Amino acid sequence: ARPGSVLHPPGPVLHPPGPVLHPPGQALLCTPPTRPGPALYSTHQARPCSVLHPPGQALLCTPPTRPDLVLHLYSTHQARPCTPPALPSQDIRNTVGNIPMEWYQDYPHIGYNLDGKKIFKPIRNKDELDEFLDKMENPDYWRTVHDKTTASDIRLSDEQVDLVHRLQKGQFGDVNFNEYEPSVDFFTNEVMIHPVTNRPQDKRSFIPSLIEKEKVSKLVHAIKMGWIKPRKPKETTPQYYDLWAKEDPNAILGRHKMHVPAPKMRLPGHEESYNPPPEYLLTEEERMAWEQQDAEDRKLPFLPQKHSCLRAVPAFSRFIHERFERCLDLYLCPRQRKMRVNVNPEDLIPKLPKPKDLQPFPTTMSLVYIGHSSLVRSISASPTGQWLVSGSDDCTVRFWEVNTGRCMKTLEVGGAVKSVAWNPNPAVCLVAVCFESTVLLLNPGLGDRLVVSSTDQLITSYEPPEEDKEQAVTWALSEGPEHDNGHRLTLTHPKAVKQVVWHGKGDYLASVMPDNSSNLQVLIHQVSKRRTQNPFRKNKGLVQCVSFHPLRPYFFVATQRYVRVYNLIKQELTKKLMTNCKWISSMAIHPGGDNLICGSYDCRLAWFDLDLSTKPYKMLRHHKKALRGVAYHKHYPLFASGADDGSVIICHGMVYNDLLQNPLIVPVKVLKGHQITHDLGVLDVTFHPTQPWVFSSGADATIRLFT
Amino acid sequence: MSQLQTRFFTDNKKYSVDDVPFSIPAASEVQELSNVINKLLEAKNGSHSQIEFDFLVRGQFLRTSLSNHMEAEGISTEDVVEIEYVERFTAPQPEECMMHDDWISSVEADSEWILTGSYDKTARIWSLEGKAVMTVAGHTDVVKDVAWVRRDGLTSLLLTASLDQTILLWEWNSERNKLKARHCCRGHAGSVDTIATDPTRTKFCSGSWDKMLKIWSAVATEEEEEVVVEEPPSRPRKKQKTEQLGLTRTPLMTLSGHNEAVSSVLWLDSEEICSASWDHTIRLWDAETGSVKTTLTGSKVFNHISYSPLCRRLASGSTDRHVRLWDPRSKDGSLVLLSLTSHSGWVTAVKWAPSHEHQLVSGSLDNLVKLWDTRSCKTPLYDVSAHEDKVLCVDWTDSRLMLSGGADNKLYTYRYTACETDAGA
Repeated sequence: ARPGSVLHPPGPVLHPPGPVLHPPGQALLCTPPTRPGPALYSTHQARPCSVLHPPGQALLCTPPTRPDLVLHLYSTHQARPCTPPALPSQDIRNTVGNIPMEWYQDYPHIGYNLDGKKIFKPIRNKDELDEFLDKMENPDYWRTVHDKTTASDIRLSDEQVDLVHRLQKGQFGDVNFNEYEPSVDFFTNEVMIHPVTNRPQDKRSFIPSLIEKEKVSKLVHAIKMGWIKPRKPKETTPQYYDLWAKEDPNAILGRHKMHVPAPKMRLPGHEESYNPPPEYLLTEEERMAWEQQDAEDRKLPFLPQKHSCLRAVPAFSRFIHERFERCLDLYLCPRQRKMRVNVNPEDLIPKLPKPKDLQPFPTTMSLVYIGHSSLVRSISASPTGQWLVSGSDDCTVRFWEVNTGRCMKTLEVGGAVKSVAWNPNPAVCLVAVCFESTVLLLNPGLGDRLVVSSTDQLITSYEPPEEDKEQAVTWALSEGPEHDNGHRLTLTHPKAVKQVVWHGKGDYLASVMPDNSSNLQVLIHQVSKRRTQNPFRKNKGLVQCVSFHPLRPYFFVATQRYVRVYNLIKQELTKKLMTNCKWISSMAIHPGGDNLICGSYDCRLAWFDLDLSTKPYKMLRHHKKALRGVAYHKHYPLFASGADDGSVIICHGMVYNDLLQNPLIVPVKVLKGHQITHDLGVLDVTFHPTQPWVFSSGADATIRLFT
Repeated sequence: MSQLQTRFFTDNKKYSVDDVPFSIPAASEVQELSNVINKLLEAKNGSHSQIEFDFLVRGQFLRTSLSNHMEAEGISTEDVVEIEYVERFTAPQPEECMMHDDWISSVEADSEWILTGSYDKTARIWSLEGKAVMTVAGHTDVVKDVAWVRRDGLTSLLLTASLDQTILLWEWNSERNKLKARHCCRGHAGSVDTIATDPTRTKFCSGSWDKMLKIWSAVATEEEEEVVVEEPPSRPRKKQKTEQLGLTRTPLMTLSGHNEAVSSVLWLDSEEICSASWDHTIRLWDAETGSVKTTLTGSKVFNHISYSPLCRRLASGSTDRHVRLWDPRSKDGSLVLLSLTSHSGWVTAVKWAPSHEHQLVSGSLDNLVKLWDTRSCKTPLYDVSAHEDKVLCVDWTDSRLMLSGGADNKLYTYRYTACETDAGA
């Protein structure tokens, strides 16, 4: 670049419209092209040319858009900054370059000359009339061009007009250049009479070669000896490229195509932002939870953080660690194709009969027994199936007529009723009720009058034995208004009683007082002799519930995790059943006596076949929440379970007499209806003694009958 | 819009139209058909007033559009469709509401008086206008069923059965409003849930929770030592006193055979007793010999049965929410003729219309009383939703009165206008 000149950067785009780069009145200095190579200037404009010139090539300047710009062609050999032609008296070249001249509209000047001085606009602009007059009067009008950059008219000289004419005709600009110089050929197509050289031909050029002959004879010998086989004839069948060879996994090529792409990394989301939206930031509790979680369990491997600006973001401390893990992932990830076995999911389900074929079982809610004001802990049906007794936390025991839902009787007792049990003997009308540390035997006075009076007789006919033995509970006969209410016997226990259960004959009664630190947890009472005994000398764990075997003298005791079966006559442990449950809640014995179900607080129901094993024959996990009650039907092959999820699940549980055939267990119906109150749903279930109906009592203070 | 060739006919001469085929839009429904008939009748008889009609296509009530009905029943649309029309049964109008002190377990009305049994251990006699006339108190437990025996002028005999295992035979003089307990029928070992008087009005049969049926004499024998019950009773009687109520009577005959509680009993005629039980059977007994003649086996507990001598069908209400019709005489084939399905709770009571061979009324634990026509077994004619609680009993008298009582302590009576055309067909 010449000293003193203002240079523009190369490139066709120089002046983005807008406020940048070219405020008038300011000189613009740009870096000159640093690459070696001659710059090219147009004569009038003194602009550096935009292109770099590889040597040996002719260059063409960016074509001017205006006719007054003259093209100059240089070969690179001669490339040199051209000396400007003889300058007119004043050199008023504008240095602003090829910019829209409107930018200078509002200024008195129109640019800067080579000396950096302002070029002022002519005082008066030509209007149309001036233009016309000029056209009419000026003989040189045709050779006058308007220079926008200087806003002045230039009269072209004769040479310049000639040049324009020549260019318009497509001729070279230089007058002295002859494009039709005569050419001299190196070779000629004419045949000469004299050769270029006169050397005679070699002999070897026309006799056969000995070496070749030797080679040929060797080959001939080898063929004769059979060492070389002649070439097979070419197969005529066309060969095709097997385009799909790699697609077939059974083909050889296909097996090689084991490309498994590397797992993709998740793209960063809003959480990764240095300034995430507030909903992506963790709250204090979430942060605590995040910190307490295992690193593997965390949903996000980092804590989203907010920074005011990108500059404030600290270095990511886990960066190397994370890269390393990613590399490990890529390196250790098993690149193996998973061979998916096509299994019809229905084939995996064991073949069970359809519930439709297993009728009858309860399907719909028919009656709601409304009356209690608090959760109903326990229900029990009378052996005839006409009455139902329920005990509730509102300290009442209610007797209901089954087929109408009528509350026939309400008895207040002195505490929240934990368990009720109707005597299973149809010849005795007694209901055992336990609350706090009392077991109460009630005569509800429902059913056959004869049975009611004979029950009363049975109780009053008791004669105390001669020597009074010390007993764990005190038996007291009720009198007065309590007697009129139906109270008959009161058994005061030393501890809170949780469960009462009758023996099938209706004379024996067992009560449970859960206590982890004592051997006095289970008591067996005999009503007719008013005797009580503690069958166990040792504490084997917290007793949950007990039950009598329906036929044989066995006694089932469920502790937290095990069910122990005792023989009452031999007074020994016969079996210990491992339930695999964390905490047993309830237990029911099949009327046949060989099967048992256990409900547990960890949502499981275990079916034991006592003949089969001490491990559960089946574990049913149909409930979503803790089971509270289980029950068998007396005649129908049905069992039910009630849970805290408010549902009762009815299962078909067929027990066969054939010892070789295992029980058939089919879940048949989910009965819903109870509302969940205080996270408690169904608290107890019991079947109607004769019909395939199930009663369930719930925390919503109702009892429901499903038929 | 496709058209159907139809021909209308009716049994009622008053409303008969010309026996010519009409072209009717296939999508037309009952109302449009009714308008057509009314137009025809008006054209025939200028003084005809608008009457609502119901239409039967091959013995089934039309409830949807004609084309849908024909498609459902599989009737060809090519032929001329024979449509029978009858005057529409007007909706029963609620008339009286009689408040009781407790749940109403049973109701029986005759042409003059209504007898209800209640859970407050009493039975009550009401006039048809809803006036309480008499309280029958004497039982020591819930009155489960009541029945009129006979009426000789102003003196009536009535029966009440109770949970206290007794049936009391009362004599009531409607003029003096005096009530006498004539007999106390003892023998059941469970609550007596149902009683029925035989057509000769000399015997009655009772069914009990103890699975037994017992036949008793309903004739009051004259004795000196009867106890007159003052009206109204000043206080609930004690047990000792009720034991003296009337003369103790023992059953003439005991019919045993049911395996579960007997829920309903009735007389088909003077020699035949029909009983329904919780053991899923309906049994027909010979009242002379006391043997089972026929057993109809269902699949669910029967709550109540009713028999119509007009169409000779038994209707049963059971716990699976259906009303079923049985033919007690049939010896072969399926015994269930029809299931009327629309209730959503146990059907606790059914009763045939005394003067219409197709209509019956049923009450259910879903608080609804439904009026059925057996020619439309999917939808009842009318749903009566007067009760706010379980309906426990319904009755239907000759005197154009339907009654229903339930656990909301209310006895509702409804009046309906019978179409003479259908009566006694």
